[in-house]
Amino acid sequence: MLRYLTKRLLIFIPTLIAISLLAFGLSKLTPGDPITDRLQAPDDSGGASSAERYEKEVKELARQLGLDKPSFYFALSSAAFPDTTYRVLLPSRRDAVSRLTDRCGNWSASMRYYQSVENFEQRLNALPDSVDADVRIKLRKKLSRLYFSSKERELRAVLQQVQDTAALDPVLLQQMERPLTRLSSSLKKMYSEATPAKRLIPRLYWYGLDNQYHNWLTNFLVGNFGEAMDGRPVVDKISNAIWWTLIINIVTIILAFAIAIPLGITSAVRRDSVFDRSTSLTLFILYSLPTFWIATMLVVFFTTPEYGLKIFKSIGLGDLPSSAPFMARFWETAGHLVLPVICNTYVSLAFIARQMRGGMIEVLQQDYIRTAKAKGLEARKVVWKHSLRNSLFPIITLFASIFPAAVGGSVVIELIFNIPGMGRLMLDSIFAADWPVIFTILMLVALLTVIGNFVADLLYGWADPRVRFA
Amino acid sequence: MEQRPSVHIDPPQQAQGYWAKSWKQFRKNRMAVWAMRFLFVLLMISLFADFIANDKPIYCKIEGQRYWPIFKSYGVQLGIAKWDRRFLPANWENQEYEYEIPALIPYSASGIDYRNGNFKSPFGEQQIDSWTERHWMGTDQLGRDVAAGMVAGTRVAMMVGLIAMSIATLIGLCLGAVAGYYGDHRLQVSRIRLLLNGLGIVLAFFYAFMVRRYQLQESGTELLKSLAIAVGIMILVNLLARALKGLPYLGQRITIAADLIIMRFIETFTSIPGLLLLLALLSIIHRPSIFNIMVIIGLMSWTGIARFIRAELLRIRQLEYIEAAQAMGFSEWRILLRHAIPNALGPVLITIAFGIASAILAEAFLSFVGIGVEEDQVTWGKLLSLARRSAHAWWLAVFPGFAIFITVTAFNLIGEGLTDAIDPRTRQG
Repeated sequence: MLRYLTKRLLIFIPTLIAISLLAFGLSKLTPGDPITDRLQAPDDSGGASSAERYEKEVKELARQLGLDKPSFYFALSSAAFPDTTYRVLLPSRRDAVSRLTDRCGNWSASMRYYQSVENFEQRLNALPDSVDADVRIKLRKKLSRLYFSSKERELRAVLQQVQDTAALDPVLLQQMERPLTRLSSSLKKMYSEATPAKRLIPRLYWYGLDNQYHNWLTNFLVGNFGEAMDGRPVVDKISNAIWWTLIINIVTIILAFAIAIPLGITSAVRRDSVFDRSTSLTLFILYSLPTFWIATMLVVFFTTPEYGLKIFKSIGLGDLPSSAPFMARFWETAGHLVLPVICNTYVSLAFIARQMRGGMIEVLQQDYIRTAKAKGLEARKVVWKHSLRNSLFPIITLFASIFPAAVGGSVVIELIFNIPGMGRLMLDSIFAADWPVIFTILMLVALLTVIGNFVADLLYGWADPRVRFA
Repeated sequence: MEQRPSVHIDPPQQAQGYWAKSWKQFRKNRMAVWAMRFLFVLLMISLFADFIANDKPIYCKIEGQRYWPIFKSYGVQLGIAKWDRRFLPANWENQEYEYEIPALIPYSASGIDYRNGNFKSPFGEQQIDSWTERHWMGTDQLGRDVAAGMVAGTRVAMMVGLIAMSIATLIGLCLGAVAGYYGDHRLQVSRIRLLLNGLGIVLAFFYAFMVRRYQLQESGTELLKSLAIAVGIMILVNLLARALKGLPYLGQRITIAADLIIMRFIETFTSIPGLLLLLALLSIIHRPSIFNIMVIIGLMSWTGIARFIRAELLRIRQLEYIEAAQAMGFSEWRILLRHAIPNALGPVLITIAFGIASAILAEAFLSFVGIGVEEDQVTWGKLLSLARRSAHAWWLAVFPGFAIFITVTAFNLIGEGLTDAIDPRTRQG
């Protein structure tokens, strides 16, 4: 038994690693940047000081969020890139310099060139008003190509144009002389010092334990789930949401089992009777009915006054203030939860009952049941005592999926009935690219899947003592 | 000429017997047979969707000129034909037709009928010129025909089932077959090959996808080039491994516990909350497309097939005919591909039937939620989701939902029929 337990727990480790890697990898692949998305972009008019201030803010936020560290334990990269690329925090700068490096194979020279462009832009913005506005606008238009192009010929051509344009205004030329020479010399240098062959040499950088993934995972394991995008702790968000999901699911599970098991058994005992045939058909149809269709239909027909059938309360959870008496609030909420519970129940009910019937039919054909009947045992006792336990296997398998489903919540049901549970939280977080929340929910649900499997295994042993934990 | 040993096993006849018997058993299940017929209708609808619902006429005559616009549109899509100038702003309804054979439903799924916007009921009054233009299943807010959307949705659903399950079957078959046939003790590889393949994967990734990451963003052909580079590196590495087979230590063969590794992998994979992961995966894709959904659903639903095929092969590889094949000196691959896998396919069919049902359901769910489907793609799930926002348009809730339901049920029925027909435990007579 102990050996079995340890084996089960050992399987959990690769699962955890796989899921955390998947979630982490996905969060890194999302469009958008976790730092700059939270900050306001600087305005162009502010000049050098505002750009500097923005950079300082980015640095500070990155430090707070731990994003100024390497992403992973190691990185595979070409030799053209240094092991410190992650320290460039501004995504626009990182992308542009990477693109340049991808051409010339020299990171530091590319970086110097990029900085000279930035310097040029700052000086251009800081020019006094006496300078011809026309020339300034022309120069600024050229900037984007200097920033984003990476082809040598194009860059040289743009530089030539910039120099020609600047020459139109002697005041400007005088003011901008140093940035311009810096720009042209760094551009020349970038291509004279180019080492394109370096791009083709693979290199593995080792960063050690102080990386984003490691910190994230260790924090998760000690229960520190971090902050969501809106600054609220993830724990708060989840604990608010899990409450609704749990209520709905616990009621669902109790209802489903309480109806399905007797139904399945009766159906199996009276096999091929009218009762059995009609239940089987109904269950099959129920099982095939997509939840989101039924939920939509119920909402459309029974919660709106449109067809004169407004039997149930509308979607959402009602809007009684928290100062209202508890019982009033309870009944209000319960009224709103009737339909979600029905929708959630019917599928599991159909599934459990069908499984129960199948398992029971198989058991009832066994020799020992015939023996029990032959020796004159009451039919009730044969069914409920001798057969039930052995036909529980398929039901037990269900337990494995109950835990994760209960917490993962039914995304559709919560979406359609507008219930702020876990499924809704997950969906909203996905739409908002709120990765701290998504990561936590994915990990929690995976954790519960493993626990569910584990509980199912224990129950197998209880239902059939022959099952030994090898 | 050397005479070959004349051992005659006669596999085709035996295999035919098995399938014929299963088919006979399947035919006894009337529900399943009806489901098959219904499926056939769906397939026909999705094949000829363009002729069933289209705002272009099938054949028309304008100013003495004859046109076959729907056939022509295929040519235009393939790049071998060009539209006549008169059709360039695609104003099919404003043409002066001398003669016209319209499609069965004279609307396209995403075409807008401006006169019949704002939710026209199928039974209510509609602004139409003749009964052929009636919106038999109503319209949505913009005036798009629901019936045309249903036809387009049929095609999407069938393609999802087909593509997703093809991918899943391919992966599941490969992994399941290796796990089941080789087990823990029979897969032997030389150390050098293992080592070089590991290295090869890293190098292939580096040269095909890292060095070329900016080129990859440019066009689709770059991706093909990258794949070619990756495949080339892997071939090179394996050739090298073959050449170095003679080395003393590295050339030795070691046993790989294929079954253990693959089963652990499957176990890990099934612990991943699939639906949630699917949502997360699709949310990061820049350009949403229905094909991404098909591929990802396929990539996520192979575990069942792999398990089934593994279990079957574990049983089959103990059988005598495999031993006979080995004794005759057939290569392991030949035995696996020609003799073991074909006999394990029966149970896999069952999983595939149920798998298609859940793939269709998953796609409907995703487009219902609105993740990963492009704006102008009409699917059943998307039509159904319109009903959430407009409760008075009952036809938006009833028709697409019923289509999903009946299709999923048909595949489930076929799956059940196959279970009864193929599973020896439930087979009667």
